[in-house]
Amino acid sequence: MEAVLTRHLDAHAPLSLQAYQAAGGYHSLDAAFDHKPEEIIAIVEAANLRGRGGAGFSCGLKWRLRGADAPRPRYLVCNIDESEPGTFKDRHLLYGGPHQIIEAVIVSAYALQAEQVVIFVRGEYGKGGHGLKRAIEEAEKAGLVGSNIKGSGFNLQIKVHLSGGRYICGEETAMLNAIEGRRPNPRHKIPRPSVKGLWQHPTTINNVETLVNVPHILLNGADWFRALGINGGCGPKLFCVSGMVQHPGLFELPCGTPARELIFEHAGGLAAGRTLQGFIPGGASTAFLLPEHLDVPMDFDPVAKAGSRLGTAAIIVLDDTTCPVQATLNLMRFFARESCGFCTPCRDGLPYLAQILTAIADGEGRAEDLILMEELCNTIGPQSFCAFAPGAVMPLTSSLQCFRDHYESHIATGRCPFDAANKSGA
Amino acid sequence: MNDESNRQALQEDLAQLPATDPQRRAAIVPMMQSLQAERGYLDDKSIKEVAQVTGLSTTEVEELATFYSLIYRYPAGRHVLRVCDSLCCGLRGADRLLQAAEKYSGVSLGKVSPDGAFSVLPSICLGLCDQAPAALLDGEAVGSLDEAALQALLQRLQQED
Repeated sequence: MEAVLTRHLDAHAPLSLQAYQAAGGYHSLDAAFDHKPEEIIAIVEAANLRGRGGAGFSCGLKWRLRGADAPRPRYLVCNIDESEPGTFKDRHLLYGGPHQIIEAVIVSAYALQAEQVVIFVRGEYGKGGHGLKRAIEEAEKAGLVGSNIKGSGFNLQIKVHLSGGRYICGEETAMLNAIEGRRPNPRHKIPRPSVKGLWQHPTTINNVETLVNVPHILLNGADWFRALGINGGCGPKLFCVSGMVQHPGLFELPCGTPARELIFEHAGGLAAGRTLQGFIPGGASTAFLLPEHLDVPMDFDPVAKAGSRLGTAAIIVLDDTTCPVQATLNLMRFFARESCGFCTPCRDGLPYLAQILTAIADGEGRAEDLILMEELCNTIGPQSFCAFAPGAVMPLTSSLQCFRDHYESHIATGRCPFDAANKSGA
Repeated sequence: MNDESNRQALQEDLAQLPATDPQRRAAIVPMMQSLQAERGYLDDKSIKEVAQVTGLSTTEVEELATFYSLIYRYPAGRHVLRVCDSLCCGLRGADRLLQAAEKYSGVSLGKVSPDGAFSVLPSICLGLCDQAPAALLDGEAVGSLDEAALQALLQRLQQED
């Protein structure tokens, strides 16, 4: 597949406005202004562009459901708060091509008839955020952002919010609180942000990778976009592959590309003599999959059918030298630390799970711990306030199923077999 | 424009707004960020200043200052090294890297070295999993680190200081 979203990315020297325009950038603005907003939404819906931030909800449907008659002012929030372990696709988009992002939010805001865009950038990507601000100033000077853009009558302001830094800010309603200067706890899902979002005004929140597809869909059509995917997937997809592979990296490939091709062809496979123990398909908050799942197409529905989630399409590979108990403990420590603390099951439950896992990893586990952890996972997930805790327990629940013999051997022998193997190999 | 003049411009803009304007509250994170850029961390005086400008109570400001991991309520070194300890870096030696960072900077995690030069902090995933193990040094990504590379990096900084 020819690169679409990564074609002009260069983190060391991102294209200036002039160079980006010379390469065909901002052409989609003319195409957009030739369409009625609702026509663009219909094209995006027909393209079956599904949300790239993790949930996979239809972008066009989300836009249509907000309603053309939503009261003003209306906001579009572009989510670049990428913090999901294993995920670095948005970093490449931000550092490599800020003008591609600006073009995408202009066209998307026009389709939504939103007059204000807030681009939420994670604090750790501060340098990228400053590059984006400079690019917005360039675009403003060229009349591409501001009042009456290219004589269309459409007015747009774009602001960048650089986060103070917490994983939970990536949750869309927590993000709204963060932008408003409130404590970033997730909000009640009803009323939806499309009804009462930023400062109680209609707000649409999309991941940056979702949005950068929109100009291409508009210029090339919904059929072109759908045909770019394979195995039932639609469009190009940014895949991150990391962990125990030879060449970790970002790969733009057809949505629906099997994990086997990603791991063994594009990421160079495993080190010599190693075998695959398992992998996480979509970032830290998705369930482990096993070698038997390597041919599952990396698309939303097939990965869900296999028992996990496509999430952010960030594959993390474990080989046969990796202790799955230690890997799961690392994830649980992450979630315990990043819980926003608002609701009790999550705030108290995740550290409890991390404590039990630590004991098992240290050879101090008890036989009853496995059942206790399963019970805790089944309680914490459904009883917590937002989607954070269900995501946090998903890798543990699956790890207890996929790697049960490893947990049992840690408990039975009182030691981690991988420690000895690594020490003798070192 | 430097951070101080940025902040002064922001404060002047906010001063034009009514006390209840939501833009005042919305300025809390940018205010904290620019004060920290000037002072290295937010002391109690800074918290009061932010409260005054945003129209919030010091308790509300404190709540956010302690919530965000990139806002410091305690002094930090002139150079801050944030070493990723999440899964992808963990698989590729983040533990050894954190130990080496403490050893070569002469400072334990979360503290400031006696000469004020360094702080080393563990960090959640930095989105640098393709360069694991990785860290941010004063906001700049440094990837594919091992103990020797880290030692060389810290030595270079010590010499530059």
